[in-house]
Amino acid sequence: MATIEERVKAITARILKLDPDQIKAEHNFTVDLGAESVQSIELVAMFEEEFGIEMEEDAALSVESVGKAVEFIAQVCREQGVDVN
Amino acid sequence: MRLILVDSPEEVRGNFYPLALSRPLWELRCGFTSLAEKLIARVGASDVAYFVADYMADAYRAKARRPVNDSSVLGGDDLLIVDPRVKADSFDVAAKGPSEVGVDEQGSVLYARVAKDDLAKLHKTQDTRRKTQDTGRKTQDSRLKTQDSKSIAEFIGAAKAKLPNVRSAVPAWRYIWDLVLANAEQITADFAAAGRNGIEGMVEQPTAIRGNKKDIYIAPGVTVHPMVVIDAGGGPVYIDEDAEIHPFSRVEGPCYIGKKSVLLGAKCRKGNSIGPFCRIGGEVEESIMQGYSNKYHGGFLGHAYVGEWVNLGALTTNSDLKNDYSTVSVMLDGRRAIDTGSAKVGSLIGDHAKTSIGTLFNTGSYVGAMALIMATGKPLPKFIPSFAWFVEGIVTKGFGKGKLYETAKMVMSRRNCQWTDAEQSMWDAVFKMTAPERDEAIKKGRRAMLTR
Repeated sequence: MATIEERVKAITARILKLDPDQIKAEHNFTVDLGAESVQSIELVAMFEEEFGIEMEEDAALSVESVGKAVEFIAQVCREQGVDVN
Repeated sequence: MRLILVDSPEEVRGNFYPLALSRPLWELRCGFTSLAEKLIARVGASDVAYFVADYMADAYRAKARRPVNDSSVLGGDDLLIVDPRVKADSFDVAAKGPSEVGVDEQGSVLYARVAKDDLAKLHKTQDTRRKTQDTGRKTQDSRLKTQDSKSIAEFIGAAKAKLPNVRSAVPAWRYIWDLVLANAEQITADFAAAGRNGIEGMVEQPTAIRGNKKDIYIAPGVTVHPMVVIDAGGGPVYIDEDAEIHPFSRVEGPCYIGKKSVLLGAKCRKGNSIGPFCRIGGEVEESIMQGYSNKYHGGFLGHAYVGEWVNLGALTTNSDLKNDYSTVSVMLDGRRAIDTGSAKVGSLIGDHAKTSIGTLFNTGSYVGAMALIMATGKPLPKFIPSFAWFVEGIVTKGFGKGKLYETAKMVMSRRNCQWTDAEQSMWDAVFKMTAPERDEAIKKGRRAMLTR
């Protein structure tokens, strides 16, 4: 089964129309990957769908990098009892 | 005599959403004034009190400057309790007289006139009921202490049970679009009732005035710039204090322009009521703007009702007529379409909604309060829930309500108005109330997003 990081990268690649292999954990969604505000909204929505979680908008949208998104999603999954392993 | 306006239960108020999400029905506008102002004038009341839905009581109390949800007003004087949906012009019930309760065909109470002498027996009934219901809960003189809308519902229930009932055929507003469709006629009636005409403000030349000058009133403080056409040929034009009409505007009657509103080269077609502090450009026809809203730029708005603190981006346009000229339907709850019976109905736009440039609204669109719309180049879905962020053609959660509140705060401060804690609590309640339809729309949007 794909890891959280792989799934986050796959969604990021799809929404931002990038090659998943070029996306690194340290990449900033806005500065490095060119995400615009509308795409940030789509990313949050798709992460919620992918993992079956509910994220608080302000907190989710304050996450800047791919690696931080992975950590944030893992934490939300734990809090909401979602098994991702 | 004390006039008491009692807001309708949610299932009735829903017919006036999205405008009534944040205000009692009597604050809705038709013609020059609100429904409350018309009822108060009709009855000739100086003592007025209100009962509103609990979630908006604190916010409304700050604006009303009259008792709100204060059950002490249910004593000490003759009372005339009126449903705000009653059309004031047709309300011919004498303010004074023996007690009676006017009910419509469905048995709903349209008014209750309660003589002071009969108050005691109604309160006695209430007390008995409350004692039965509140077993175990200690209340001290609950008759006068209750501060919520429950007390008035009980009081009206007691009145209906204990006092003579009469069948009332007084007409009532049924839906929000009724106000829009009646607006032109109401402006004409309000102009006659106001009994004013003439030019007290400044009209810079050359300005063309068409029609009978007796059908025009330009209030003190108004500035009409050169190259403006005021056409009273089709009905009266009333421009209220400190409004400003910029060059190349055309104002067709019947029309009411509210205090401190500005027309910016607008084609203001017949039948418009523009509330206070609005900025209007482009083309507007047979529409009601509640107040404090902007439609600054080009674009057409017709047969629409626009709430407060709305900003319509440049070229925002609504359809108010279907290509097949059939009657327009509106979805007030996102599920069930209601046939308005009219071939012309535009958009119903809730408070604090914002649209991007180039937004296109379909005929009979419902745009929820606090909704934020980004155009897609196509006409949008006919129902957009409150607090929705409509982005890339779908409803999303967007950046959440916190960001919408920040914007609302900023927008209000620009007009020296304050976003209060009470207001925020009211909007939090609206957010909860409107969650089911929003969540459903978000789910639908997610499904669409996944198939892209």
